[in-house]
Amino acid sequence: MNLLLQALRFEFLGFLVGLAGIVIVQLLTGKIDSRYLLYGTVTGRKVNDGRYFSPERVQLLVFTLGAALYYLTEVMTTARSGMVPEFPQSWLVVMTGSNAIYLGGKTYARWFANNKLK
Amino acid sequence: MTPLQILTLVSGCLLCFLVGAFGLLILWKIYVGDIDLSRLISEPTGDASISRFQLLVFTFVIAFSLFLVIVASNPPSLPVIPGTILTLLGISGSSYLVSKGIQFSDPAGVIDRSTGVVISPVKTIVRYGQTQQFTVEVPRKPGSVVKWQVFAGYGTIDDKGLYTAPATAPAGLAAGAQAHATIQVTSSEFPDASDLAVVTLS
Repeated sequence: MNLLLQALRFEFLGFLVGLAGIVIVQLLTGKIDSRYLLYGTVTGRKVNDGRYFSPERVQLLVFTLGAALYYLTEVMTTARSGMVPEFPQSWLVVMTGSNAIYLGGKTYARWFANNKLK
Repeated sequence: MTPLQILTLVSGCLLCFLVGAFGLLILWKIYVGDIDLSRLISEPTGDASISRFQLLVFTFVIAFSLFLVIVASNPPSLPVIPGTILTLLGISGSSYLVSKGIQFSDPAGVIDRSTGVVISPVKTIVRYGQTQQFTVEVPRKPGSVVKWQVFAGYGTIDDKGLYTAPATAPAGLAAGAQAHATIQVTSSEFPDASDLAVVTLS
């Protein structure tokens, strides 16, 4: 039975690492299309005219990767305790704010930017 | 061993084999392209979405974390997931849903991007014996294979889109007249999608 458990562990680890590896490689090589990840679109304009570099997306990307790395390092150091570590409240506030800024920017580009900037 | 223990062992082996085979099958199908991830974080319009990307990152991080914690405990057991983790996933998921709501409130946000191909430049002048590099964009599937050909006129084009004009003016061309070539590029993924460019030889 122990051998079976070990085999299952390796299978799941292999699947997760394999899947993550494929996604990362395909993102880096451009096979997964990540064009305009950091660009927004102002509604009501032609596609190329309405596309703009979006700081709100940059900050969301930075905080997302920061939170992910922070949590992974936490898990690496506490996994042996058998407990899933808490995600700090302060980080939750940061992620809420970051997502709110992103949604605010998207809302502005959708309903208000075209009238103001035209 | 009792018959029940034998049955448990056989079931475990079978389950282990099926799970492993299923995982390998999925990874293999992704690797060979049967499962296409090219639009994993893309909107219908073709632009990548930061909220989809965030959801993807957190999904992998939480899945990997849970896996590490589960296998670290002996015997493996499902851990209690803290409320803050559920809140984080809730924030990410809600942000994704709201952003889609904003996007889909605009009809342009739900229009699928074209399967066409776009050649560049569409018109150009090339001297005899010179070359011209053409580029192509396939919005639906960037980096996909395309086929280049000189559809009509003079010159040759290689499979990288490099057009080479003939060394001299074609015989029989009237004095002062200009020769032309029409370049066609066709997507291998979408054979109905092609684009043309016109070369004027001088």
